Amino acid sequence: MLGEAEPQWLSEEVKTGTTIIAIEFNGGVVLGSDSRVSAGASVVNRVMNKLSPLHDKIYCALSGSAADAQTIAEMVNYQLDVHSMEIGEDPQVRSAATLVKNISYKYKEELSAHLIVAGWDRKDGGQVFATLNGLLTKQPFAVGGSGSSYVYGFVDAEYRKGMNKKECQQFVVNTLSLAMNRDGSSGGVAYLVTIDEHGTEEKVILGNDLPTFFDQ
Amino acid sequence: MSRGSNAGFDRHITIFSPEGRLYQVEYAFKAISQSGLTSIGVRGSDSVVVVTQKKVPDKLLDSSTVTNMFHLTPRIGCVMTGHNADSRSQVHRARVEAGEWKYKFGYDITADVLCRRLADISQVYTQNAEMRPLGCCMILVAMDPQHGPVLYKCDPAGYYCGFRATAVGAKQTEANSYLEKKLKKKPELSHDRAVQMAISCLASVLSMDFKASELEIGVVTKDKPKFRTLSEAEIEVHLVAIAERE
Repeated sequence: MLGEAEPQWLSEEVKTGTTIIAIEFNGGVVLGSDSRVSAGASVVNRVMNKLSPLHDKIYCALSGSAADAQTIAEMVNYQLDVHSMEIGEDPQVRSAATLVKNISYKYKEELSAHLIVAGWDRKDGGQVFATLNGLLTKQPFAVGGSGSSYVYGFVDAEYRKGMNKKECQQFVVNTLSLAMNRDGSSGGVAYLVTIDEHGTEEKVILGNDLPTFFDQ
Repeated sequence: MSRGSNAGFDRHITIFSPEGRLYQVEYAFKAISQSGLTSIGVRGSDSVVVVTQKKVPDKLLDSSTVTNMFHLTPRIGCVMTGHNADSRSQVHRARVEAGEWKYKFGYDITADVLCRRLADISQVYTQNAEMRPLGCCMILVAMDPQHGPVLYKCDPAGYYCGFRATAVGAKQTEANSYLEKKLKKKPELSHDRAVQMAISCLASVLSMDFKASELEIGVVTKDKPKFRTLSEAEIEVHLVAIAERE
């Protein structure tokens, strides 16, 4: 028909809305994310894996603008590929986080994405770095994305130092589940990546297998 | 034949001589032999092997830091023969090219494409007056996802080719004849046979018996497709096997 406007979601920016979280445990890290990609009020992808590999034992969690975050991750992946060949061994998590931070800071006016970098290296074991707005900070755990606001209280109260791998994975799944319940821009399935000395394990937890809380 | 009006610069920069030769490129080949080392590459039925001498001329040198074998990507390895500094420059360029390819096109570069890229870069040096050709030759090895084991060589002239076996360096003519003879009947080479053939070739043309510390061996196999260098203990196993066969 004449004069019909295109659907609204075509002109909205595609954001990953998101809840992302990364936690360090004794001997490695666990990363978790939801899977919803929204353009305004429409969900354009309900099964997107927001945990992107930067190297064999270093992953990053994407949030904010989907395109910006993916592009940063791909650029850093390329830089780490060459860097690891030159140094002849696996790169440090700190190097990966610094590369992400450098891009985020240099282009902070044009980009709108936040990546949490986490992984395992031989020198310092499991580490989690936040790179929000171009800063670089090492933390025992980090949460990000729109859903994180709803779970700050939960993580602050429930986080304990020295959790083992299983407890860490359960903690991440609980946090994601709570955030996905309350945040409109987070949902779908939960993706989990566990990295330690022995390797990297990717897992998906489907919607009905997520833990339930008081109102479910 | 006329003298031509090249004013005698055809030996100094890469322009043609009246006979149609590029002297600088020919001198680059001579520079490869200057290092005095020889490297051999042999392709087996499910693996590829490269072997080179490890000469540590100075007793004060830390031999663990001396190497001519390099990873270009996790799956592509190479052995460099010739000028050390030129070799490192070419290796660095190869790593960057491989990384850029993966970034741009989303999949790992294959050995033949990487070799062609480096050969094209070497060709540019044969046409530019301001840059000299590199005095080194690279033998690349990899397990290609479609073609299996592959062995490629690229030289300062910008020529590249795939090989069943090849040799580069001071004794390359003798080594190439040896390899031609041994591979004439197109034998099926297992991994162990390929390694031992490469070592025997080197031992034969250099007329010396090697100790494990005097050799560097790099391999890619079907079971372990990532490029890796053998440890001294593994090299010793092959040397013993060769001695027992004789």
